[in-house]
Amino acid sequence: MNIRIGIPRALLYYNYVTLWKTFFTLLGAEVLISGYTNKLTLDLGRDMVVDEACLPVKIFFGHTAQLLEQKPDFLFVPRMVSVEKSAYICPKIIGLPDILEAGKKEMPALIKPTMNMVSTGNIDSFLREAGSCLTTDRRKISRAWKIARQEQNAEDRQALDKSRSTEIGAARTGSKLPMLLLGHRYNLYDDFLNLNIRKRLWQMGCDLWTPEQFSEESKEDTIKTLPKAIFWTFGKDILGTVRCFSRLPGPKGVVIISSFGCGIDSFIGNMAMRYLHKAGIPYLNITLDEHSGEAGLETRLEAFLDMIRWRRPFNEDHISSYGTPLGDPEGYAGIHGVYGYSATSYQ
Amino acid sequence: MGFTVIVPPPTSKRTLSLGVQNAPEFACLPLKINLGNFMEARELGADTIIMAGGVGPCRFGLYAQLEKEILEDLGCHYEILVLEPPERGIIDFFKKIRKLTEKVSWWRIIQGVRLGYKKACFVDKLEILVQEIRPRENELGTADKIFAHSLKTIDKANNLDELAEAYGLAKEKLLHIPRNEEKEVLKIGLVGEIYTLLEPFASQDIEKRLGYLGAQVTRSLYLSEWINEHLFGGLLSGAVRQGFSKHAGPFLNHFVGGHARESIGAGVLLAGEGFDGIVQVAPLTCMPEIVAHSIFPSVSDTLDIPVLTIYVDELSGQEGIHTRLEAFIDLLWGKRFSLDHEKTIC
Ligand code: SF4
Ligand code: SF4
Repeated sequence: MNIRIGIPRALLYYNYVTLWKTFFTLLGAEVLISGYTNKLTLDLGRDMVVDEACLPVKIFFGHTAQLLEQKPDFLFVPRMVSVEKSAYICPKIIGLPDILEAGKKEMPALIKPTMNMVSTGNIDSFLREAGSCLTTDRRKISRAWKIARQEQNAEDRQALDKSRSTEIGAARTGSKLPMLLLGHRYNLYDDFLNLNIRKRLWQMGCDLWTPEQFSEESKEDTIKTLPKAIFWTFGKDILGTVRCFSRLPGPKGVVIISSFGCGIDSFIGNMAMRYLHKAGIPYLNITLDEHSGEAGLETRLEAFLDMIRWRRPFNEDHISSYGTPLGDPEGYAGIHGVYGYSATSYQ
Repeated sequence: MGFTVIVPPPTSKRTLSLGVQNAPEFACLPLKINLGNFMEARELGADTIIMAGGVGPCRFGLYAQLEKEILEDLGCHYEILVLEPPERGIIDFFKKIRKLTEKVSWWRIIQGVRLGYKKACFVDKLEILVQEIRPRENELGTADKIFAHSLKTIDKANNLDELAEAYGLAKEKLLHIPRNEEKEVLKIGLVGEIYTLLEPFASQDIEKRLGYLGAQVTRSLYLSEWINEHLFGGLLSGAVRQGFSKHAGPFLNHFVGGHARESIGAGVLLAGEGFDGIVQVAPLTCMPEIVAHSIFPSVSDTLDIPVLTIYVDELSGQEGIHTRLEAFIDLLWGKRFSLDHEKTIC
């Protein structure tokens, strides 16, 4: 029988599913993935970690608990310290394997290799450890990794291309309002966690943009002007996306999704808002926690869209009708605002 | 060294509320207070900020960047000098200072830095003494009064001789405080995020409170240690060094930023040394300490040591914290008595 490896559908799953799934499948494992997030996931997760943890982390633990039903032989919980030079993921994500092991729940053995590319960019030991329960053949492992990387890249590219394809391009010149949904992948794509925000916006007539529709290179480029390099991969992604998006012509808006208690969002989100204000782009900041309700969200989105549509005609020249932006926005993430529509939590 | 140092007024309610009004709502408490400090220093005419930096993964390394943006937006133009940790090293640090003080010789800069550092070391040594005296003194608060006074004299010292004298005097005075050496006290390890450990205002005086409640407190971090490690890459001597972090395994096996590993490590080590309990203190939403907090239950179970975690933010009230500390102290006494009891039975 194949070895069964469980992967929780949470956190970095959304960035790397194809990579991990292909990798393990090629090495001969059966990959089990937990189902979509639901109420139970949250309840289970809440019991496994301290109250102060952020919503996505709670959900992550809920998924590990739900995976147990499928009886995997191993759980894949890599310690993702850093996926590029000079930038980290997040302290809580780095600590995941330790938190999981400190918990009271019986867990299958963990596969918890450390991915740390912060100084050397070397991942040999990561691969060896990741594959160790399946094979010791290094060549086989590196071949599997190579193919898995290609598949993941192909998928990422597809997301990019989609944004450029003529088909959608045509739709984009139409009447729909470009709306950037900004945040960590696991906040954008977990529909339970974000209360179906993608569907809502789409139904309200928005043309949705997400961070992966801008290439890594252009994102990197645009944040080079910051006086101090951002050392969070998520942070770079968010600030880079905001800048790329703000360069698109025409009226548009941004919905920022952050998690309650997220250390990174508290800083980066604030910088993004300051930037958006300076650039004269309306934004809505939504902080998600386990008490967020759908009705509140709906109302806030509607109010936000009304505000944009209402001021749309004024905005035809792409310059804020509320005065020229103050100073040069590039050196700063932005300037504190008057018309940014921001509230921290909704009922 | 040829420029005026403006010390922001001591952190107060006003500092905090200035910070809270202008910082992002979910930023951690140290940032809010820090921002408030800068705004108050500005009112006194400061125009340049020197502060420490960092390269992640925790938020501290981006304080300068975010604070600069916030201050700029408020119309406060500050020059901010960030001293990055030793990656680029001590030389860089001196260069930056030199830039500020162009006419001053290298020699004087080094002297200045050394003096400042020595001051931190001495203050830490005194503090350890105070921690020992607090639960035992006849009149509560005597040690703290003397300590507060000696902080001032140490601060005024202009050279190493004056400093040594101020230190000697303070130590002498502390040792003469009337106290009850026989008194039985609890031993508590105070661990957590550095700012809340070092700034009594931020932690609602947790350390003092524990002392007055009859516990001798040992902290997981001291200022001199932090300066040494953070800015000088551990090159200097004299710091109160404890190196707790290496004891964090098998509970926390990787650096997660901030001082989570020190917290866990101190917990593990102190449990082994017969401490009665651990109190962890951290700003609300502090990422590394949340990791530590999530792991502490297993430390507590394995090593049989009670742990109390307290988060502080601008809303936390003294009452609540005090009650929780009292209850914790009671629990520790209870545990100690029952242990003693067991011992006498067998
Ligand atoms: S990045 Fe933010 S939301 Fe994600 S795990 Fe870390 S603290 Fe939580
Ligand atoms: S250690 Fe905690 S309080 Fe300090 S900067 Fe980091 S997140 Fe904030």
